[in-house]
Amino acid sequence: MNWELLTVVALAGAANWVFRALPILARADRMAVGGWLGRFLSSTGPAAIATLFVASILPALSPDLARLAPALIGTVAVLATWVACRSVVLATIAGAIAHGLTVWLVG
Amino acid sequence: MTPTRPAFLDGLIASLPIILGYFPIAFSFGVAATRAGFSEIDAFSLSLVIYAGASQFLALALLSSGAPVLVAAFTLIAMNLRHVLYGPALMREAGSEAGRRQAWAWAWGLTDEVFGQALGSLARGQRFSEPYMFGLGLGAYASWVSGTVVGAYAGGGALVGWPAVNAGLGFMLPALFLALLLSILSRPQLPVIGVAGLVTVVGTLALNATSGILLGMLAGALTGLVRR
Repeated sequence: MNWELLTVVALAGAANWVFRALPILARADRMAVGGWLGRFLSSTGPAAIATLFVASILPALSPDLARLAPALIGTVAVLATWVACRSVVLATIAGAIAHGLTVWLVG
Repeated sequence: MTPTRPAFLDGLIASLPIILGYFPIAFSFGVAATRAGFSEIDAFSLSLVIYAGASQFLALALLSSGAPVLVAAFTLIAMNLRHVLYGPALMREAGSEAGRRQAWAWAWGLTDEVFGQALGSLARGQRFSEPYMFGLGLGAYASWVSGTVVGAYAGGGALVGWPAVNAGLGFMLPALFLALLLSILSRPQLPVIGVAGLVTVVGTLALNATSGILLGMLAGALTGLVRR
């Protein structure tokens, strides 16, 4: 490993630890009880998950049916399995299987 | 008396969809790293020490294109700034009594997916505990690091003959995010979710995917300030 890679890995890794752990250790959430920051943090989770879903599905939204159909059918499979079972694990696996099968059928 | 599973095991089981979703992406990273001229040890080190998917791929592009070291490092750091919000948001939902003595260790695993799964578990009635967070994080981390190593050693041809399997595994993370979204869905959160989604689309199309994610997340969280 050369020193350039080592420097980038060390700086980025240290920053990731600081971003993930330090706000918990500094009890940033307790400073926020009841105030505007509390409402902001309560909304962060749903906002983050919605954002990550949209960002991950966006590249599949194309007029090309071979790309669009698997994403649509996978999404419907997740929704249907969630309604039927209320299980995150089963809904995720059902979506992936439906997506893979559609790719196999569409070619 | 009904025997109860250890919280660590509960966390490990909850990490299953993340394990299945991470492995193929990490595998692709391992392949991409060796193709870009990095050694297997380099690829392993990137996954072990940085542990953030998109920024690792970006690291390959920046370093192999000869970008200055500090520019590359700060670009990667900026990409992961959103993680600052995850810990406080999770601990707020976990409640004031939630333990955090070992957070210096388990919080390392607080990636997008682990955060989402932890938050979804709390919404479904799972009690917060540090062993649960260790189990959840360890499953995901092990999958990421092992996927990278397998990809780096196997090379690019491993899934070429299995496009449907490859595609299905590639859909694992969008499916997981959607299932997590459904698990925390409530009427008061609908404006937050709607605004976050819309701003992500606009930000991604107008700027780039990283900006879209950051702006979407901030816009959604700010929407939470105006609702009653």
